[in-house]
Amino acid sequence: MATAASVAMPDRADFEGIVREHQSMVFSIAYHFLRDRPAAEELAQDVFLQLHKSLGTLESAEHLTRWLRRVATNRCIDYCRRSKLMPRIGLEQVAEPSSPCRPADPMLSRTLAQLVASLPANWRALVVLKYQEEMETEEIARTLGMPVGTVKSQLSRALEFLREKASRVLGESQ
Amino acid sequence: MSRLDDALREALRREDPPSGFAARAMARIEAAPQRTSVWAGLQGLFGWRRWRWAAALAGVVLAVGAGEYGIEMQRRAEGERARDQVMLALRITGGKLRLAQAMVQRVEYAPRER
Repeated sequence: MATAASVAMPDRADFEGIVREHQSMVFSIAYHFLRDRPAAEELAQDVFLQLHKSLGTLESAEHLTRWLRRVATNRCIDYCRRSKLMPRIGLEQVAEPSSPCRPADPMLSRTLAQLVASLPANWRALVVLKYQEEMETEEIARTLGMPVGTVKSQLSRALEFLREKASRVLGESQ
Repeated sequence: MSRLDDALREALRREDPPSGFAARAMARIEAAPQRTSVWAGLQGLFGWRRWRWAAALAGVVLAVGAGEYGIEMQRRAEGERARDQVMLALRITGGKLRLAQAMVQRVEYAPRER
C-alpha cells in the first residue's frame, strides 16, 4: 500500500509494493498508447526506474499517482516522436467488423483501441487519460500542464474523429 | 453519456502487465548504477521543502558574507591610503633632514677665513 510515509522513505519491499499497486495503471497507459506489449512493458519499467530516483521529491500518495500518470504519458509521447511512429497504427490498418457490434464486444473494443492508437500522440494522451483513468478535463490539464481550454478543444476534436470513424461500427448516425 | 463513451471505457480498460513485471522492474532498478548527481544527492538529503529553507538560509549567509567582505575591503583601502600618506610624509621629512645635514656639514668643514 502506498502511503505518504512509504513515499517519503521506501525500502525495497515498500517500493515493490508501490510498483505492484500502480503497475496496471502505468502499463495500461503505455499499452493503449503503443499497442505493443513488450514496448509498453519496457516503457512502464523505465517509468518506475525514474520513480525510484525521484521518490524523495514526492509528497503524498496522490502526488505519486499524478506524477506516474504525467511521466508515463510524456514518455509515451516522446517515444512516439522519437520512433516516428505517429500514428503507430495507420487508419487503413484498422479493420472494421462487417456487422454492427454491441459495446461490450471484444472485436469492437479491439477496433476502438486500434483507432485510439492511430490518433496523433497528443490526442491519444487525452483520450487514454479520460477513458482509461476516468479523469476530468481539469485534472488532465493539471497533470499534463496544459490549459483547460486546450484540453477541452483537443479532446472534442479527438472524439469527433473517433466518432466519425467508429460510427459504422456503433451504428450511430452522425 | 454516449455509446462511444461506454465503448471507449471498455476498450481502454486497465490491463495487467505480463506476470513477473514487478520483479523484473525491481531487478532493473537494482541493476541500475546508483548514479546520483550532487544536486540529486542534496535534494534527497534535504527533501523539497527543507531544501527551500536551506536555500533561503544560504542566501542570507551569502548576503551577510558579501556585506562583511565589502566592509573589510573598504577598511583595507582606507588603511592603504593612510600608509601611503605616512610614507609620503616620511619621504618629505627624510629629504629635509638630508638637506639640513648637508648644510651643517658645509658650515663645519668650510675653510676658515683669516
